[in-house]
Amino acid sequence: MPVLIRIAFRNLLEHKAKSLIIGILLGLGVIILVVGNSFMDTAAQGVKDTFIANYTGDIFVAAKSKEAVSLFGASSMMGGGDQTKNLPYYDKVMAKLRSTPGMIEATSQVTGYGMAALKGYEDVDKDENSTNFLLLFGIDPSTYYKLFTTAKPVMGSLLQPGQSGLVVSKATYDRLSKKSGVQLKIGDTIVVTGMGHAGFKIRSVPLVGVVSFKSDSEATDFISYADVDTVRILSGLTLGNDDDTPVTDEQKSLLAANEDDLFSGGETVTTAAKTTMNKPAAKAPAAAHKVAQADTGAWYFAMARLKNPRQAPMVIAGLNVWFAKEGIDAVASDWKTAAGPFASSIDVVRIVFNIAIIIVAVVAIIIMMNTLVISVIERTGEIGTMRALGAQKGYVRRMFLVETLAIAVVFGLIGTVLAFGAVGILNALHLTASNPFLKILFAGSVLHMSINPVSVIWSLVLVGFVAVVAHLYPVSLALKIEPVRAMQAE
Amino acid sequence: MVIVELQDVRKVYPLGKVEVEAVKGVSFSIEKGDFISIAGPSGSGKSTILNMLGCVDRPTSGTVLIEGRPTKDLSDKDLTTLRHETLGFIFQSFNLIPVLNVYENIEFPLLLGKNGPKGKEKSEWIDYLINEVGLEQWKTHKPNELSGGQRQRVAIARALVTKPQIVLADEPTANLDSATGTQILDLMKRINREMDTTFIFSTHDAKIVNLADHVVRLKDGLVEENVRQERKD
Repeated sequence: MPVLIRIAFRNLLEHKAKSLIIGILLGLGVIILVVGNSFMDTAAQGVKDTFIANYTGDIFVAAKSKEAVSLFGASSMMGGGDQTKNLPYYDKVMAKLRSTPGMIEATSQVTGYGMAALKGYEDVDKDENSTNFLLLFGIDPSTYYKLFTTAKPVMGSLLQPGQSGLVVSKATYDRLSKKSGVQLKIGDTIVVTGMGHAGFKIRSVPLVGVVSFKSDSEATDFISYADVDTVRILSGLTLGNDDDTPVTDEQKSLLAANEDDLFSGGETVTTAAKTTMNKPAAKAPAAAHKVAQADTGAWYFAMARLKNPRQAPMVIAGLNVWFAKEGIDAVASDWKTAAGPFASSIDVVRIVFNIAIIIVAVVAIIIMMNTLVISVIERTGEIGTMRALGAQKGYVRRMFLVETLAIAVVFGLIGTVLAFGAVGILNALHLTASNPFLKILFAGSVLHMSINPVSVIWSLVLVGFVAVVAHLYPVSLALKIEPVRAMQAE
Repeated sequence: MVIVELQDVRKVYPLGKVEVEAVKGVSFSIEKGDFISIAGPSGSGKSTILNMLGCVDRPTSGTVLIEGRPTKDLSDKDLTTLRHETLGFIFQSFNLIPVLNVYENIEFPLLLGKNGPKGKEKSEWIDYLINEVGLEQWKTHKPNELSGGQRQRVAIARALVTKPQIVLADEPTANLDSATGTQILDLMKRINREMDTTFIFSTHDAKIVNLADHVVRLKDGLVEENVRQERKD
């Protein structure tokens, strides 16, 4: 064994207390990094797998917007549909997606939001935390279920092409049953109050099925599928919605009047005025009919899955080039964009974790540096002797580097073994997510982490780097030790 | 043949705001194969001179010549190489590397250079030195398992392992009892005779001074006496 390694390991054993201080810091660093990264990777991979398999596919296409657009609409998950633009040149875009090599299938969707209630029943559950909120995916069943195969009916069936109705998640089914105080049955009429940019819309739809997903998450709890026309109407995507209603000057003057003018001074509104006001109402049935008629060409998003998901970045880039060339105001992106706040929440947690790691690393470097400085001071005579005997400065530098790396490797490996043990214990505990945020982090209801070997290697490299940085200052002190120190009696 | 020469060497140390002149213009030369004692009371400048002879310190003025080479213009790297190739050191506090055993401590200087013996030749040479200093039974022991005398024997073997022209010993018997000290000096003298290695040692012990062939006596940083004694084999 080379003498430097021999000296390094024997010095580690000789100075057990200092070796332990540095080693424990490094070992803990590895444990935190491996377990933390495993947790992050599990969460990120879980969210990715869940979203690609269940909702977003590999490619997500939406109209260009100043706002960030996800599968849940523009800007934000809640109520984001207000600003979501329709996908332009829908037929052309879908044709392009379907003709792209390596594509399994493409489908499209309108996303809406609503509150559900069982027709004829009032809410009996007064719990403020319970909700009858629905995240509505208006889909084309003929293509949607070819792309997303993970939703399995536990009651009733999936939506059939041309069928009008509602399919809810098991969690939503349980919530609605609890709210209404009766167990919902297939065929029951659900009254859905839609919240779109045109205001509140109410539709009654039959309950067609209840589904469970391969992997449950916070998103799946709220998702319900409906025929696209129902969601279009609930979201205000109707033919008459944007029509202008003519208003007479007299009507305008009434709109301009304030309440005091209307109800003071003994003046009354004349019957003629009332009649005039009622005149446009003669057109109301036609307009109302149009407002209730879905714009059948309106889709918010298109999603597609690839045979080889690794090709997604290349295909996305190709589609965006094509959109630009064709003058189509659309943009293709990956699952992460489509997942919106769900994906970014993992990123935020990872950033917080990384900041915490940096702080811990700085503290560890300072502690290790101090410990190594003490070690250098204690070994002044030894270093001076080596220099007197003919050791060049490079030899002293290498000696400390080998010692530092030796301790990093030994305790890094111990830390890795302990990290595997910690992950095993955490998995064995079957920790359940007690709140929605944890459910996102756990990528499901129960935490199940797996260790990525690349993450282990990176953790060891990082810990080695920290150790090397920590040894630089003590080594600079060691190099200043003159060989004459060896001649000074201890 | 002159192997070491000091020409009007001065050494001034700063001590707080004042300067202390430890060596005040010393000149003498040492012949190859000398067994020379640099003697004098504490503060006479003998350690300072030994440090300059050992190339671990530089004179403030004057010249130190080792094998005819002036040391003052050498870089740190060249001085280190000179120490490794030409000089051997025996320290007052033994200065063995605590984590290495007897064999490994003696071997250590050979690992710092590229020109020494390798493989079997190396191990046979180290074993020969271990036998010479009488530590065959202690080869695998660590320094903290040895007595003071044994440690100094290891230091002597280590000083000789690179076959240096000169061995410098700074008060080699200071931490030993008088019987052991005499044994160590006898050992050094035997090696001096057998290998024709120049030994330069500092001491303030009059009994040990008498064992030397050549004595340079210092007082207050100056040479008080420079005498060659009758060789006592």
